[in-house]
Amino acid sequence: MQFRLEKRQEPSRFMLYATPVAAVVLTMVLGAIIFTTIGFDGVGAVREIFLTPLINPLKWQDLAVKASPLIIIAVGLSIGYRANVWNIGAEGQYIVGALAGTGVALATWEMTGWWLLPLMIIAGVAGGMAYAAVPALLRVKFKVNEILTTLMLTYVSVQLLNYLVLGPWINPTGYGQAQTRLFNADQTLPYIIPGTIVQLGTPIALIVALVAWVLMSKSMFGFQIRVVGLAPHAARYGGFSENRTIWLALLVGGGLAGLAGVLEVAGPFGRMVPSFPTNYGFTAIIVAFLGRLNPLGIVVAGIVLAITFVGGQVAQTTIGLPFPAVGLFQAMMLFLLLAGDILVRYRLRRVVRLPAAGEVA
Amino acid sequence: MDASRPFRLELTGITKRFPGVVANDHVSFSVKPGEIHALLGENGAGKSTLVKMIYGIMQPDGGEIGWDGQKVVMSNPKTARKLGIGMVFQHFSLFEAMTVLENIALGMDAKIPARELEAGIRKVMDEYGLVLDPHRVVSTLSVGERQRIEIVRALLLNPKLLIMDEPTSVLTPQEVEQLFGVLRKLAVEGCSILYISHKLHEIKALCHTATILRAGKLVDTCDPGEETSRSMAEKMIGASLKDIVRGEGRELGEAKFIVSDLSTGKLGHFDVAVEAVSFSVRAGEILGIAGVAGNGQNALLNALSGEILAHDASDVTLDGQPLGRLDTTGRRRHGLCAVPEERNGHAAIGDFSLAENTILTARDRMSMVVMGLINSGAARTYTGKVITEFAVKALGPAALAGSLSGGNLQKYIMGREILQRPSVLIVSQPTWGVDAGAAAAIHQALVDLAAEGSAIVVISQDLDELLALCDTMAVINNGRLSPSMPVGTVTVEEIGLLMGGVHGEKAAEDTHAVPA
Repeated sequence: MQFRLEKRQEPSRFMLYATPVAAVVLTMVLGAIIFTTIGFDGVGAVREIFLTPLINPLKWQDLAVKASPLIIIAVGLSIGYRANVWNIGAEGQYIVGALAGTGVALATWEMTGWWLLPLMIIAGVAGGMAYAAVPALLRVKFKVNEILTTLMLTYVSVQLLNYLVLGPWINPTGYGQAQTRLFNADQTLPYIIPGTIVQLGTPIALIVALVAWVLMSKSMFGFQIRVVGLAPHAARYGGFSENRTIWLALLVGGGLAGLAGVLEVAGPFGRMVPSFPTNYGFTAIIVAFLGRLNPLGIVVAGIVLAITFVGGQVAQTTIGLPFPAVGLFQAMMLFLLLAGDILVRYRLRRVVRLPAAGEVA
Repeated sequence: MDASRPFRLELTGITKRFPGVVANDHVSFSVKPGEIHALLGENGAGKSTLVKMIYGIMQPDGGEIGWDGQKVVMSNPKTARKLGIGMVFQHFSLFEAMTVLENIALGMDAKIPARELEAGIRKVMDEYGLVLDPHRVVSTLSVGERQRIEIVRALLLNPKLLIMDEPTSVLTPQEVEQLFGVLRKLAVEGCSILYISHKLHEIKALCHTATILRAGKLVDTCDPGEETSRSMAEKMIGASLKDIVRGEGRELGEAKFIVSDLSTGKLGHFDVAVEAVSFSVRAGEILGIAGVAGNGQNALLNALSGEILAHDASDVTLDGQPLGRLDTTGRRRHGLCAVPEERNGHAAIGDFSLAENTILTARDRMSMVVMGLINSGAARTYTGKVITEFAVKALGPAALAGSLSGGNLQKYIMGREILQRPSVLIVSQPTWGVDAGAAAAIHQALVDLAAEGSAIVVISQDLDELLALCDTMAVINNGRLSPSMPVGTVTVEEIGLLMGGVHGEKAAEDTHAVPA
């Protein structure tokens, strides 16, 4: 018995939604097998990573906290990816956005007022945009590949963070510890559900996803992004400028990553520390693809990835699974998803041996 | 042709099904040794599928293939070549950056030393009067010369059956004559030729027999000499053919669309730029631009549509309004619409629905965008109108453009632009790959649009189409445009010479080297 891939007449809508689910399920199965063969309790690991965070209501607030930045960043990235602009340096834009917000907070740390937080948020978005403007300029003016520039600028941003936190921005009353002052109450995100750790960042993430969904599906902005991504020639014919789209895609992606950064530093962290970068910017790439580059799908995908983070911490304490194992699960999910995508455009057919010509009239 | 000899190729009840369609439904016909046999049919009639099965690229679901009296299974193209079947495809598979010799060597099944191969190539070229330097790099060759590479490649195998898929669509009339000379010589020597085309007068001039396919079924096998082009076309489409109806006593108005000294820079490595192109089109006039593919037609269309901006705003004017520095959107607002040659990925996006494809070019003129938001209802309504008025076979405005056949997609694209009632319409290859019935409908729509006072420019490689449709004609060669000439005052031979860019000494050289 042989199998053959056969091109479908139209991309399968069923497979479009089924493959992300299949990728998650397959990741669980393969993960259990892999960790069992290397001597862990594989089934237990999968249960702790994927199910405990869902079953235990105490973990739900952790999910909201982890999912929010992932969703915000992934929505921004998805818009770029739709336009074939491959910004993989959201981590850097996230850091610079957070630094810009921190800068405002430190400059105003003795002040109070409702306007402090909005100002920090604006600074954060602007910081992320400015950092994404560098690859945009290089791509448009000199045709430099944005995959390289965005990634490399991430490492630059980490150095910038370390310099600022160890140098000019170090807490003067912190006994030389590498961190900034704690932000004051007006510079910190309010909690929105009493008795939990869920902050303003979570509703903002949902609003961002909803607005992006409307823009992408109903507006000329979304139409332009999709046309440029799918058919650059048709885009020129339709009157859309490729350069303008590159700018838009990178600025939106950078701006949203910056927003996530400032919400994170003004939220769960409350101050800037060297351990601020937690790879949300990279994980968001997986979220964007798992969510099919659709803002609403990204909300679901963001929660799935948040589950693996939260579950990874659970598994670390309960069955001693090393935390990097979570990265392994996440990467496996992305690869299985990308591999499974072939089923959207192709179907698997069993090949029956052809009868020799003549046997069938 | 000796009737007692077995048929070179004999197809019996060949059937091939694809998901949703029967591409070939019990097709049977035979080709004698030395016979030039035409395979005729509209797009999607099943010609290509049939030929692919003969050449071993696909396997039939039913039926059998006979070769010189023996039943054979063409399991792959190598088997077919071993039996002596050669094929020249419509789309050449050549490496631009390599020489003729290297390209031919790559295509051979057996490894032949370069020196021997070159000798073989020169012998074949001498024998058939094909002129080609084996050491030229392909990117420097014209389309006609590229086709010669494919022909030489096929002839090196001493074929007993040569399959030619739409070979003349890229040739000048003179090149077509040379090609026919080669094919006739081959036939006299006993090689059978299966000639796929939809150009009926060529089939009348060249072929001994014609097999006509329609919707996968064999309709008729006839002698082209005894048929008229019209009768064959009607068998092909299964209905009677309509003539273009022109209004009586039509008078052309003032010069409406004026292009002066329009140039584009060099765009890409293998693209041809246009240089100092000037012409004007009057209200109600259809100007035809003839030329062999790859002589700057794409650059010209892009420069006229606004995909490439002109150096000066006044290089392109419509009713005195300078449009040269406006992009496609700006030019459309002023009433200039355009249809590029390439349907997929340029004029339309396969992964988008027809309604979304409508938004691509009709959003401003048909008010489909309000405050940056898309009015999808308006897009659907307009798309529905295009589908009805241009008889597009599609499930509706929500159908994906990629799910339409080439001809239907072309009808949709033409309809989408024509129903916007542009005051200037530029179209490239309006009926490329479109069946005769649909082509007639598109031609009629163009004539009607002109009758309403629009100025129309048709860029096409199909001389017959231009002669039937246009009031004036110009020829593009190597990026330069000849002066416009009224149709009727100019002969096909003159146009052919202009298309080949033949002036003076080069003409002498060509006639010397190629006894056609």
